[in-house]
Amino acid sequence: MKPTKSISTVTICAAGIAAVLSSSCTSAVQRNKEDKKGMTSAYNPYPPGILPGDLNSEVERVLREVDLVENRALERWHALALPIVRGQPPTLQNTGTEAIETLGELMNFDRNMSPNRNQACMSCHMPYAGFGGPIPSVNLTIIAYPGTAHFRVGKRTPQRHAYAPFFPVLQYNQTQGLFFGGNFYDSRATGVLLRNPDAEQAQGPPVDTQEMGFPDTACVAFRLTTAAYRPLFELVWGAGSLDIKFPRNTEAICDIPGGASTFRGNTTPIDLTPQDRTKANAAYGHWGQSIDSYEQSVQVSPFSSKFDAFLAGKYKLTADEMAGFELFNGKGNCNSCHLDGRGTTLKPNQNDTGSAATVNPLFTCFGSSNEGVPLNPRNAFYYETTPDSLGFVGNPYGFGYRDLGLGTFLRSGFGSAPNPNSNWTQSAPSVDGQMQVSSARDVAMTPPQCPTTEAGARPYFQKGFFHNGYFKSLKQLVHFYNTRDKFAFPVTSGHCPPGTIEKVTCWPMPEVKNNIDMTSGNLGLSDKEEDQIVAFLETLTDGFTRPYPNIDVFTGTCMTCNPVTDPNCSPSRQGNGSLIPTPPLPSCASVICSAPPATSPPIP
Amino acid sequence: MNKTFARDLNMNTLLLKLAVTAAVTCLLTSNPIGAQVSPTTPRAARVQITQGPAIEMTKEFLTIIRWTTNNPGASPEHYGVVHYGTDPKNLSETAKSPIRLNPDHASTVFRVRLDNLKPRTTYYYTVDSEEANGTEDGAKSAVKQFTTAGESQRAGRSRAWD
Repeated sequence: MKPTKSISTVTICAAGIAAVLSSSCTSAVQRNKEDKKGMTSAYNPYPPGILPGDLNSEVERVLREVDLVENRALERWHALALPIVRGQPPTLQNTGTEAIETLGELMNFDRNMSPNRNQACMSCHMPYAGFGGPIPSVNLTIIAYPGTAHFRVGKRTPQRHAYAPFFPVLQYNQTQGLFFGGNFYDSRATGVLLRNPDAEQAQGPPVDTQEMGFPDTACVAFRLTTAAYRPLFELVWGAGSLDIKFPRNTEAICDIPGGASTFRGNTTPIDLTPQDRTKANAAYGHWGQSIDSYEQSVQVSPFSSKFDAFLAGKYKLTADEMAGFELFNGKGNCNSCHLDGRGTTLKPNQNDTGSAATVNPLFTCFGSSNEGVPLNPRNAFYYETTPDSLGFVGNPYGFGYRDLGLGTFLRSGFGSAPNPNSNWTQSAPSVDGQMQVSSARDVAMTPPQCPTTEAGARPYFQKGFFHNGYFKSLKQLVHFYNTRDKFAFPVTSGHCPPGTIEKVTCWPMPEVKNNIDMTSGNLGLSDKEEDQIVAFLETLTDGFTRPYPNIDVFTGTCMTCNPVTDPNCSPSRQGNGSLIPTPPLPSCASVICSAPPATSPPIP
Repeated sequence: MNKTFARDLNMNTLLLKLAVTAAVTCLLTSNPIGAQVSPTTPRAARVQITQGPAIEMTKEFLTIIRWTTNNPGASPEHYGVVHYGTDPKNLSETAKSPIRLNPDHASTVFRVRLDNLKPRTTYYYTVDSEEANGTEDGAKSAVKQFTTAGESQRAGRSRAWD
């Protein structure tokens, strides 16, 4: 074929595809507008009782809070003195740091970064929850958050992203035979291009079909062109960085949530020239880097906890906190993964005289682990088996889905992302079921008016812990580490034998039996010692030495219960009233558990 | 945006276009505390089993074998390894479970899961341990034995996967 003919053919084909796309987009846009007007019902494949009753009002409540922080950030920007460009290489002197951090904050809280302009990054990560999930009823039930298209829901709890910027680029350490780094529970944000996993993490949700949901990464650049803070973007990243010639139908395309059948699997439906696509890609990189800057700043990761004050000699741990610290390092063995940076293991009555290995311990080893967490049948993801009005199906495998975490990512498998390093793939069977070891910092953070995560006499803020939110209190989390194997039963959640209490004297079987970490599971901690570890974890909450920014914006309602009349009104049984029986589980979908290299042993 | 800010912005944009991207990128892509990784302690001159191996628990669906060594050091992740079978002269099956070393602990507890063994059956086993990359610690036990529990402990099994 001659070049000219080839070009003509390509042009005709492109025009044809564009016409088809335009036509199908038009109908999809119409449907989407109808959805916005409420003319068609929201996607709801869920059995009665799965979605929390207050979901709509709580999503709206969080959006109001998101807007409040966005307005604060706008004020911060407007009050910012312009940085001066000096030096070689030229650098934004004086206020360059605050400029990029503010830009990242503005992006994080911008609800326009979703097709329906109804979801910001922070819709799932509010400051008062330690940048974790902000809706107590969601944390109690469906554990993942609805995206821009109501009610598509993701598969995991929102991972707290404070201190996430400190994770290194995902690497396989040949000597140690281990993976370190990355972001996300399955480490799929590797940092391979930006050399910064947190920046690449920020590039995930905007185009995640069940989250912010843009159909094309270029939609971010497109919406940035009309953002109020565009001048700040161009100040930081250069004038002209958003000068992209978008086609007329760009807004129509960006209004449609990704995964819509109209796109036919095309991930770049916006027709850009190669030069403009390059610019849009660069803007998307800057999006991630700006957000990373904010998340690394003292706005999010300030090292301002009681424990930091203790390290600085400005706070004396209480007796229970100190006992918890000793247990964290000793009998509990928590710091084998949640590294505390200390040089000694304290014995009873021994004073801490060690020097910190680092000034700011992060309470993670940057590794991954399978702790044997039971499958959580409240996870809404299992029910997304039918198409929504746009033809998208979130989870065609239903309860045949198994979350293999890092193992699925290394196989470039369902629900994860392409693995950029084929040398890693062979290691998948040895990491099946592993999830990233999150920093323990801010695990106990709550809004000021709800002073604890633990149910009891005080008002509390319901959180969900681990990747599938199975644990509803820190007490349960520690008790699981302590007794997982002692109280193991060959049942699924909701089917503990008579005479036992789930999460107290019965732990259902692990979702993934392979590669279960056996450092914990039968630690021999007493009930009081578990409580002391919880007390220590609470010392890792930022905001002790100086106020935590934007922790005050929570306008929701704390949870309350009466421990006298409610048997589940205790940290041990918190949330047990919301347990449901796991249905009989089909075999793991072959696309997940039979994808090469095979799981070893086979996962049922 | 006020007019003063806009004017200042225009004065700076040309320089910024040429200059800022590289500088800010350098600023942002470093991780100041990225040096904190799992510590690798020196490999012990000799690794010895100091306690066990013994059966921590045996139920119809799960058996856990446990033993203690001095801290073997080296890779922060180790595997406990159990070779087992019903013939003491042919331990043909292998089970491995990972654990994390605690660099500050003098000893290390290894625990290995054996799932779904046959009920009321006598098994023979030896234990060993190794680094995540397969390098053996060299602390191997003599052959020991245990007998699994019976079918009576199948309570609640009807809701299990199988």
